[in-house]
Amino acid sequence: MALSWWRIFWRYKVSKAGVSLLVFMVASSIYVLVSYPADFGVRVWNNPGYWADYPREAPPAWVNLFTDQKLPEHIVAVAGRPSSRYSTGSSVFTIYELAVNYYYDDYPGFLSLSIGPLEFYDTPPIVEISLVRPDGQSIILYTASVSAIFPGEEPPYRRFTETPFRIYLSGEDQVIQSIQRFLLDKGVVMQYGELVKLGPEKILFQGIGDGGMTGSVLRGQYILRIVFQSSSPADKISWIKAVVGGRVYGLSGTDRIGRDLAAGLLFGFPVALLIGFVTSGLTTVIGSALGILSGYAGGRLDELIQRISDILNNIPLLPLLIFFTFIFKPSIWLIVMILVAFGWSGLTIVVRSIVLQVKSEQYVEAAVSLGASRWRIMSRHIFPVIAPFIFAQMIFSTPSAILAEAALSFLGLGDPSLPSWGQMLDYSFRSGGVNIGLWWWIIPPGVLIVLTGLTFVLLALGIEPVVSPRLRRMR
Amino acid sequence: MSLGRALALRAVTLVVVLFGVLLMVVIVLGATGVSDRVLTAYVSDQLRVVRQELSQKIREPMELERALEQYRAELTASYGLDRPWFQRLPQMILRVLTLDLGYSRTITSFTGSSRIADIIAERIPNTIILVTTSVIISAVIGITLGVRAAVRAGGLYDRILSLLSSVSFALPSWWTGLLFILVFSFYLGLFPFGGLYSAPPPSGMMERLADIIWHAILPVLTLVTVIVGSWAYISRTIVINTAREDFVNVARAKGLPESLILRRYIIRPSAPPIITNIVFAISGSIGGAILTETVFNFPGMGRLYYEAITSFDEGLVIALTYLYTLIYVASRFLLEVLYLLLDPRVRI
Repeated sequence: MALSWWRIFWRYKVSKAGVSLLVFMVASSIYVLVSYPADFGVRVWNNPGYWADYPREAPPAWVNLFTDQKLPEHIVAVAGRPSSRYSTGSSVFTIYELAVNYYYDDYPGFLSLSIGPLEFYDTPPIVEISLVRPDGQSIILYTASVSAIFPGEEPPYRRFTETPFRIYLSGEDQVIQSIQRFLLDKGVVMQYGELVKLGPEKILFQGIGDGGMTGSVLRGQYILRIVFQSSSPADKISWIKAVVGGRVYGLSGTDRIGRDLAAGLLFGFPVALLIGFVTSGLTTVIGSALGILSGYAGGRLDELIQRISDILNNIPLLPLLIFFTFIFKPSIWLIVMILVAFGWSGLTIVVRSIVLQVKSEQYVEAAVSLGASRWRIMSRHIFPVIAPFIFAQMIFSTPSAILAEAALSFLGLGDPSLPSWGQMLDYSFRSGGVNIGLWWWIIPPGVLIVLTGLTFVLLALGIEPVVSPRLRRMR
Repeated sequence: MSLGRALALRAVTLVVVLFGVLLMVVIVLGATGVSDRVLTAYVSDQLRVVRQELSQKIREPMELERALEQYRAELTASYGLDRPWFQRLPQMILRVLTLDLGYSRTITSFTGSSRIADIIAERIPNTIILVTTSVIISAVIGITLGVRAAVRAGGLYDRILSLLSSVSFALPSWWTGLLFILVFSFYLGLFPFGGLYSAPPPSGMMERLADIIWHAILPVLTLVTVIVGSWAYISRTIVINTAREDFVNVARAKGLPESLILRRYIIRPSAPPIITNIVFAISGSIGGAILTETVFNFPGMGRLYYEAITSFDEGLVIALTYLYTLIYVASRFLLEVLYLLLDPRVRI
């Protein structure tokens, strides 16, 4: 029985396509479950601080393959240990050098630098950040002192242990002033406001000739030099990170607050499958159990179940779904619960009519006359006949649950702890991403929703001929 | 079961649905305390306005407080806030059942009225026109395609159509809308991004009509794209099932020409289920249009429902949920009657 089932199913191309899509989705989900933190939604995805060092609204990096002008990619350089260290008198100089190869046709989006946890034993160290350009010019961008010792604090004094110290160089007063001085040296006068508007990175990464700025990107190796001047040789810095913000990012770009869309898209797989499977599973179990009960038991119970499912079957689902999720706190389980509560009735009605048919078959009558119990007849003689049909229904009802969750998320009623494709689209629509044509933010989530839906439709199409032999000859 | 009894049972069920949904909405609003919160907020809002007015007239602080306290008590009583929510319930249900929908709290109609009946009356035609147009267009296209596929079932055309209709089934209407906006409005600049009128609307009668049609094309196209697939597939399945009936074989055995068999013996008996599907699809799509309307900023019932929910406009939410159910239930009943009229087999 089981084997022939599969053989008929596997005969169709749709089945093969559906199964391969399903395998792909399950594999992606497993990858996410293994590699993502459990609180990804709260701690990572919906935490703007996490995405501060990412470019905003950047298209995917592969757009560079299709254009003549190569947009800068996102560059992150990290140094765990200093490149050199020397001491003069009472001062110890620790020098970090972060090299960045820059061969693009446009200026970077921004520049930032983060300093990880550090400890010092005497006076707070002084940090000096400078940029050495490919043409040999060097500009001191920023100097600061690590925050002073609190009264009563004991050495070693630890700083930036919770969150790293992040300097957004593109927006720093000091940086802009030092660039102004640098330009003045070259005979170029630029107002402060003008420079802020232009963005300091556009000067830092621009070529300079005898007649002033060349107006084009200076390509080559840039070196960010970070010098710590401390008074004790025991002072320690754990790491330094420099970010040269790209104008393109990763496999599928970023959104308005810089979130890596590829990470979100991937996370959407287990969320969609979870909603789809749990909802369709519960709906099918409840719906078919009540259907069998109703059809087999008959009498008052039958009447009651049929009236209830008739009522539920006549309720417009979407308005009520919106209403309930809005009134209660949006959570994935609430959505599943509502979908199940209103969704089992259709199946019950159909299963009952099949059971009524099967019940009057001769082999059931034979079993009754042999004295088989009702439970045995239900589980042994009736259930196996309708099982394939129920299974087909389960597959077929899966996409509707996924689509319902996506729709609710799109209306802003999604579960914020579980980012889904619908939520990504909600944000892109609400923040006007459609109106300014951010296609990489709009097309992929929708394509994945459609693909997920299609997977189950294809599977259902493949199962259909197994369930109703009438269609078997046709495809 | 006689015909009359069957219809009566249907009618009773549908009335129970209507009443049940209304009861559920009202109980949820009451039991979760949302109703109380919203009403309290509304009372204090009004009190703030009154306090400003009164402070001009009454200088004595004690007297002002007393007057305000009295006003507050009156307001509280008039909203029924002095009683628990379940005692306010019967009155509220009775009012809504008789379509006395009351006043909205924040949303007003385009003409400025805050009567819920006015607000909804303005929007219903937009939704109905949008949905009906889309369903009829998709039905015409879908049935034509589906019947053609059924005639050559198993052929290349049939397989391509089956695949396309599964894609159409899996397409969410709102994403399709976003995609169309991106392509037709942003890149090609052919259609507006949303709304129903240009600002300012053109003056002439014909120009205005053309303007509305220009705005409605994308929403209609969106709905058609997502509905047409299931139309094609359902029609195909119904026709195929009919084509395997014995009476078709008999007709063939009699030697009737194939075109006559198709017309008289296959398509005609397939008609009742297909036609009843139209009513069903319209009633189903009205709820579904909530999303399409939101995407296109289309001033219909769906968009209003969404606005009402997000602005906690209790009266409007109850009224619209009730109306959605009413439309749904009424069209279901119509469907039942239509089915009886069209298909003599059901009557036996």
